[in-house]
Amino acid sequence: MALINLAAREINYKIVYYGCGLCGKTTNIQYIHRRVNPGARGRLVSIATEEERTLYFDFLPLSLGTVKGLRTRFHLYTVPGQSFYNASRKLVLQGVDGVVFVADSQISRLDENVDSYLNLWDNLMEQDEDPSHLGIVLQMNKRDLGSIFSVTDLTELLNHTGSPVIEACALTGVGVFETLKTVCKQVIAKSART
Amino acid sequence: MARRKGLVINDEQMQMIDGVLTKLQRVAGSAFVALISTSGQPITTAPADVDADTLSLAALAAGSFAATRQLAEVLNEREFSLLFHEGQESNLHVMQVTEQILLLITFGRDTQVGRVRLYTTRAVEVLKPLFEDAEDSDEGGARTIDTDYSREAGAAIDDWFPGESDK
Repeated sequence: MALINLAAREINYKIVYYGCGLCGKTTNIQYIHRRVNPGARGRLVSIATEEERTLYFDFLPLSLGTVKGLRTRFHLYTVPGQSFYNASRKLVLQGVDGVVFVADSQISRLDENVDSYLNLWDNLMEQDEDPSHLGIVLQMNKRDLGSIFSVTDLTELLNHTGSPVIEACALTGVGVFETLKTVCKQVIAKSART
Repeated sequence: MARRKGLVINDEQMQMIDGVLTKLQRVAGSAFVALISTSGQPITTAPADVDADTLSLAALAAGSFAATRQLAEVLNEREFSLLFHEGQESNLHVMQVTEQILLLITFGRDTQVGRVRLYTTRAVEVLKPLFEDAEDSDEGGARTIDTDYSREAGAAIDDWFPGESDK
């Protein structure tokens, strides 16, 4: 689904951070925005409520630079995690090339994680997206907290595609760039094949 | 399940598209005109060196238009095919070209809305077949995103933000 502008020698890919409410999607994007040189990124746009919960999406464009004469960009989006915002999530997923599913590792968030994961697949199927064409990464966030699931258990629950799994603590940045790089590589590899 | 094709625009198509946009900007008295994808990616603008954050503009306008379409559905309306934002100094008019393309046109208070709508509708009629051709053809994309590109991009990603990767 990448947009290829041969005249302007540009390729844009769309990556969506998905997951339940308060799992750390926006925290990932905010960390990337803080750490990346302003020359390699655009403005961070957030459509949030007064309580700073995502209402529609966060958006951050990142530039990879020029590859084989093509300016390559990744557009990062988050979705609103709260269950009642499903209409907005479907809109943000339109034209997606890659998905980072951010799981909250805490045992107390099991139901929310599973609901969100099933919701992701429902929405992709509804859009007639063939998931085998998408780059997908599972980020296990909040690994620094107590009472968390093991990596094996969460992988069994939330990774039926066998996608790469990355442990993270988005608040301090652990695993944030590893997740970003992994999904970007997947997206490019998949687009080359399709 | 068939995946929707990506959008690949070649030089010839872009020349024609830019020609239409430049003319539209002039005759409609617009500050600038932009084409974006419905997934929120900018394609081109007239004038080319527009002084605006086109990346944010594209993401927000596409989001706004998508929400408007859903509003129509909720209200049992077949479609709201255009979106209009009225400001104190400038206005923004968004119109759908194809399933994947939106046309954005900005203009000042001294330009009549009717004039903008008239010329925009005519421009959409010309642009529509051009983009339908671009949506139908994926050959250029397949040639461009080859294994060489994939390999070089992978290496560039490895070297991306070197100070951050060891965390």
